[in-house]
Amino acid sequence: MLNIVKKTALAGALILSAGAALAEYPEKPIEVIVGYSAGGGTDVMARTAAPFIEKYLGDGASIVVKNMPGASGQIGVTEAANADPDGYTLGTFNLPGMMARTIDREADYDRDSFSYLANVVNDPNVIVTSKSSGLDTLDALLAEAKANPGAITVGMSSLGGDDHFALIKLQNATETEFTIVPFKGSAPARTALLGGHVAMGILNISEVAEFQDQLNVLGVATNERSQFAPELPTFKEQGLELVNGSMRGFIAPAGLPEDVQAKLIDAFTQMASDQEFLDAMAATANPVEVVAGEEFRQLTSDLYDLAKGVWDTTPWN
Amino acid sequence: MYADLLNALPDVFSLANFAAVVIGVIAGIVVGAMPGLSATMAISVLVPFTFGLEPLVALGLMAGIYNGAMYGGAIPAVLLRIPGTPAAVATTFDGYPMAQKGEGGFALQVAVVSSAFGGVASAFALMLLAPPLSKVTLLFGPSEVFWVAIFGLASIIFLLGGNPVKGLISACFGVFVSVVGSDPIYGNDRFTFGQLEMLDGINIVILLVGLYALPPVIDLLETPLKTDGVKSSKLGTEPIWKALPRMKSYWKTWVRGSFIGIWIGILPGAGGSMAAFMSYNEARRASNTPETWGEGEPEGVAAAEVANNADTASALIPALTLGIPGTAVAAVMLGGLLVHGLQPGPMLFRDNPDIVFGFMWQFLFGAILLVVLGGSLATNSFARLLNLPRPLLGSVIIVLMLIGVYSIHGRMFDVYLMLGFGAIGWVMDRLKFPLPPVVLGLILGGFAEENLRLALRIGRGDPMVLFQNTTSLILVALTIAVIVGPSLKKRFTGKGKAQ
Repeated sequence: MLNIVKKTALAGALILSAGAALAEYPEKPIEVIVGYSAGGGTDVMARTAAPFIEKYLGDGASIVVKNMPGASGQIGVTEAANADPDGYTLGTFNLPGMMARTIDREADYDRDSFSYLANVVNDPNVIVTSKSSGLDTLDALLAEAKANPGAITVGMSSLGGDDHFALIKLQNATETEFTIVPFKGSAPARTALLGGHVAMGILNISEVAEFQDQLNVLGVATNERSQFAPELPTFKEQGLELVNGSMRGFIAPAGLPEDVQAKLIDAFTQMASDQEFLDAMAATANPVEVVAGEEFRQLTSDLYDLAKGVWDTTPWN
Repeated sequence: MYADLLNALPDVFSLANFAAVVIGVIAGIVVGAMPGLSATMAISVLVPFTFGLEPLVALGLMAGIYNGAMYGGAIPAVLLRIPGTPAAVATTFDGYPMAQKGEGGFALQVAVVSSAFGGVASAFALMLLAPPLSKVTLLFGPSEVFWVAIFGLASIIFLLGGNPVKGLISACFGVFVSVVGSDPIYGNDRFTFGQLEMLDGINIVILLVGLYALPPVIDLLETPLKTDGVKSSKLGTEPIWKALPRMKSYWKTWVRGSFIGIWIGILPGAGGSMAAFMSYNEARRASNTPETWGEGEPEGVAAAEVANNADTASALIPALTLGIPGTAVAAVMLGGLLVHGLQPGPMLFRDNPDIVFGFMWQFLFGAILLVVLGGSLATNSFARLLNLPRPLLGSVIIVLMLIGVYSIHGRMFDVYLMLGFGAIGWVMDRLKFPLPPVVLGLILGGFAEENLRLALRIGRGDPMVLFQNTTSLILVALTIAVIVGPSLKKRFTGKGKAQ
C-alpha cells in the first residue's frame, strides 16, 4: 500500500516537473554541438551567437558550446541528429556541405532528421583571378574560357562544397568549361592564386575582403550587393544569373516540442536585428543573413536537390 | 612599421600580459614533456577559454605554450629516448646517448639554450621580415611543395646513416599510414574499414606515442631489477651559467639551424620535425668529427633543438599574412586569432598593430624566458625523474601515454590504434628498422600526395608541370644530390684508400 503511494507520489512529481520543463524552457544548460574544432568559422559563429541566444531566450538561459570535430563536420551533425529532441541539444549546420555528404558518402542522417531553427551566416561566393592571369573582367574570363575550354585552372576548397556548386552553376549558365583544382580549404587556394599558380579562384566574400588589392575580384554571387563589402559588384549587375554561397546555421534533432521550437526560432529572429550581434559578426568576418524556421527547411531542401542534380550528372568522386 | 613595433612594446609588459607568457612557457614545457600531449593539443584546449580573455593575454599564453612545448619535447627525448613532441625526434639521436653517459643534465641545458636561440631568431624574423618572407611562400605552388616533401623524405632515408634500404621500408610504412582516411581530392574513403574515426586520417601524435614511447617502456619494464637508472650524481647538473662557456663553439650550428628552421616554417605543412632533421643532417655534414654523431655529441642536440624552435614564430608568417599556417600548431593559433577578430591578411598589420606586434614581442620574450624557466625546471626537477625506480617510471609513462592519446579526440579507438603502433614499433626496434622515417613518412607523405595531384591537375595531366620553373628544378637537384651523394663520396674515398 505504502509502495503504491510512493509510486503515485513519484509519478506525480515527475509529471509536475515535466510540465514545469515545458513551461519554463530552458531550465538547464543547452548544449550546442559544433562539428569543427574551436576557432574555426563555424565555431566562432556559434560562440559569438551564444550570448545573444541566451539573452533572447531569457530566464537565465545558458548555452554550452561543445566541439566534436571530425569527418568534415559529419561526426558532430550526426551526434546532433541522434540526440534527444528536448531542446537541450542543438547543433550547427553547414550548407551545402551537410546535404552533399548525404549524397557522396554514407550518412546516418538526412534532410528530415532535423528541426530547422535558423540559418545565420550566408557567405556568398566570389570569382577572383590572379593579377598575373590578365583576366581582369568577367567578360575577359568568359571569352578565354570559351576560346580554350578547360585551359583556365580554378583553385577552390574541396569538391562537393559551395565553391564547387558555384562553378557548376557558372559552367551551366555560360556553357564554358574550367579545370578544377580542389585545395584543402580556401586559404591554400587563395595563396596559390596570389602566387599565380592557378588563374582563377572561387572563394567566399569574407575570404577575399582583405585581399582586394592583391587579386581581381570579378563579382559576387548575390542578388543584391553584400553589406559585407558593398563596393564589390554582383554578377547580376553584369548580366549573369549566379547566386550561391556557403551557409551556416543552427538545427535541433527532429521532433522538437512545438513550444520549444517556437521559443528558439523567436530568439534567433530577435538576435538577427540586434546591432551588437551584427557588429560582433562583422568583426569575425561572418556576413549575416538570418533565415528562420520553415524557410530554412525549404532552403536546405533546395540545396539538397541542387547537389543531387549535380551528383546525378557529374559525380565528383 | 617599426614605429608600430615599438609602440606595441609597453602593453606587453602589463602585469596580466606578461604573466600570461610566463604561465604559457611553464605550461608548454610540462605539456611538451609529457609523451602524448602536444602543443597543438594544449592550444586547442585553450582556444575556447580565450573568448573571455583580453587578446594579448590569450595570445601570450599561446606564444608561451608554443615556445615552451618545443623545448619541453626534448626532456623525455634526452632522458628516456621518448620524444615528447614530433619535432623532438631528432633530439633523441644524441640526447639519449648523452644521458646514458651521465651527461643528461648538460644535454638538457644545451637543448634549452639552443631552443631559446632558435626562438629568438625566429621571433626577429617574424617581427622584421614578415612581409618579404611571405613573398617567398608565394613562390611555392603545388609542384614546388611536392618537391620539398620529396627532398625531406630523401634526406631522412639516405642521410640519416645506417641502412638506406631499411630506411626506405620504414618511410614507405609511414607513407602508407598517411594514405588512410579521405582521399585529399575526391574525398573517397581509403583503408578506413567503415570507421568514421579513421576518416580524417591517423593523427601524428597517435603514431608517435605508439612507435616511440611503448618500446622504451617495454625495455624499462623488462629489466626491473637492474637497479634504478642513472644516479643523480651522474646527471651532470651544474648551474646553467657555468655550462654556457662549453656551448660557445655551437654558434655556427645555431645560426645554420635558425636559417633552416625559419625557412621550413614559412613553407606550409612540413613543420618542426623536418626542420630538426635537416638541421641535424647539415650540422653533421659540416662537423669535423661526424663519426661521434649519434653517440652523444652535444652539438647534435643543439642542431635539432635550435631548428625546431626556429620554425615557431616563422610558421606564423604565412599564417598572419596569407592565412595558411606553416605548422599544425600555427593552424590552431590562427583559430585563436580569429576568435579575437584578427583576420589574417595584408590588412592585419595595419588594422591591429598593437595586438599583432604585441604578439610578436610575446614570442620573443617567450623564447628568452625559456632559458630561465626551462633551465631551472629541467635540471632541478625533470632530470631527477631518472632516479625513480624503473617499474614505477614505466608505469607512470604508460598512464601518461594513455591519457594523452585518449584526450586527442576523447575516444578509446585512438588508444587501441596507439597500442597497435606500439607493437609494430617494438618489432621494428628489435629488427633495427629506423623509426624517424616512419614519422616523416606520415607527415610528408600526405603532403606530397596532395600536392602532386594538385600540380598534375594544374598541368591537366602533363607531368612536365613538375619541372617547369627554377624553384622546382633546384629542389630536384638537391634531392638527387641527397640520394647519390653518400654513395659517390664512399666510392671516392674508397678509391683513395685503394691507391
